Amino acid sequence: MQMPSLWGAVAVAGFQLRRLLTPPRLAMAALGAVFPAAVMLAASRASRGRLDPDLAVVLLYVLIPEGLCLLGLLVTMCPAVSDELERGTWVHVTVRPSGRASLLLGTFLAAVVWTGSVALIALGIALAVTKVWHPEAVAMAFSGLIVLSCIGRAALFALPAVIMPKRALVASVGVAIVVEYLAGVLPAVVNQATVSLRLRTLLVEWMGWRRKLPVEIQLLVDMQPAWVQVIAVFIVAAVFLTAALFILERRQFPPSEEV
Amino acid sequence: MIEVVDLVKDYRAGDGSVVHAVDHISFTVAAGETVGLLGANGAGKTTTLRVLATLLKPTSGTARVAGYDVVADPVGVRRHLGYVSATTGVADRLTPREIFTSFGRLHGLDREATATRVERLLAGLDLTSCADRPAGRLSSGQRQRVSLGRALVHNPPALVLDEPTNALDVLGARDLLSMLGQLRGEGHAILISTHRLHEIEHRCDRFVIVHMGRIVATGTRDELVADGAGLEDAFFVAVSRRVF
Repeated sequence: MQMPSLWGAVAVAGFQLRRLLTPPRLAMAALGAVFPAAVMLAASRASRGRLDPDLAVVLLYVLIPEGLCLLGLLVTMCPAVSDELERGTWVHVTVRPSGRASLLLGTFLAAVVWTGSVALIALGIALAVTKVWHPEAVAMAFSGLIVLSCIGRAALFALPAVIMPKRALVASVGVAIVVEYLAGVLPAVVNQATVSLRLRTLLVEWMGWRRKLPVEIQLLVDMQPAWVQVIAVFIVAAVFLTAALFILERRQFPPSEEV
Repeated sequence: MIEVVDLVKDYRAGDGSVVHAVDHISFTVAAGETVGLLGANGAGKTTTLRVLATLLKPTSGTARVAGYDVVADPVGVRRHLGYVSATTGVADRLTPREIFTSFGRLHGLDREATATRVERLLAGLDLTSCADRPAGRLSSGQRQRVSLGRALVHNPPALVLDEPTNALDVLGARDLLSMLGQLRGEGHAILISTHRLHEIEHRCDRFVIVHMGRIVATGTRDELVADGAGLEDAFFVAVSRRVF
């Protein structure tokens, strides 16, 4: 497998980010950035300003590191190969010495930077309109969760992007539902490979909720300390990305598969 | 510089049958030589070029660029080959300068070497006046020149062009082919595929005519063309001999 040069991946990330700077994409990003705050305001209004601060944190977690990050990565990471095939740029990038690896890693970088930035802005806006205990600590914890969510999920979506490029979005939604949200809540070995288990556990750890959790909910989180969860996300991401690179290096696209 | 020996590329069709896209093709292109790969749509031209560009793996046979085998050392091939296609695949939002710089970086050129090379390419391809204009606002001829520059950013000794004039008008096509003439003069080995025979009739040193994946004729224009006829007539004769 050809190892990408750092500059190659950075060059691809640069032009992928430039491609994302279109009015429709910016409008979508703006919508994504204000949506969690709008939901938090609606929830606060529905509870007549008495939204439980812990419940507010759980709601923020569902909206940002889970919901917003997942949606953003579906849009930015899934078309890693299919977009290039459709735009006719695939051949021009992959005919370079480390083109395929640079393309995948560059798109991964761009997806993480773009989605992560939108999610961090969304977090800032949401925290400004939401009453939580220790907002600085929540901001720190959620920033970490956002970064880990983006890295782990972007790597996860790299697999459908290279295995079935033309159905990558549908396949990724399936992967998200089956792997992240079904396997992720099974109290079995299979959930150890999911990003959602790690993020839930980190939320519980960083919010200091471990002792408060009812026994049945404790089955949904891991018992290991926070640093183990962080390392686990990086290991899972590295495994997914390596597998995706391995597959991409061996894939052949006949000219008829390009639009 | 480019050497193809007994190359075969099969595809498996949707119904499970095997399609012989390229069927035991052999030819060479020397440094400072331009060879035209001629054939109708579906003749196997693009597949041959994509095997040379390491985008597809051959079923059997060998293909080499600058001595590097496409299977054993694809990275070596990519370092010595430039590839241009009919669909320019030029990003609308990026400027020619940004495109050349990005691809220079993809080749591992450092900042200084990239900047020098980019300026030389912009001047050589007559793109200096629109170097900082988004590619979406360039003419089709300028976009194809950007595509050529992107292929030349690492100064490869071998250049493969797949129907590069398809989207160009007469002037744009003439411009591009003149530039290829200059590159040949500088010692580049050029393999150009097309079905617009009149454009390259007097610009190639040799021709390879393929039909249904096989070579049906090869030689210089004088060897292929009968007195008073043109390359198009020679092409029809070669192809019809094969069909009937």
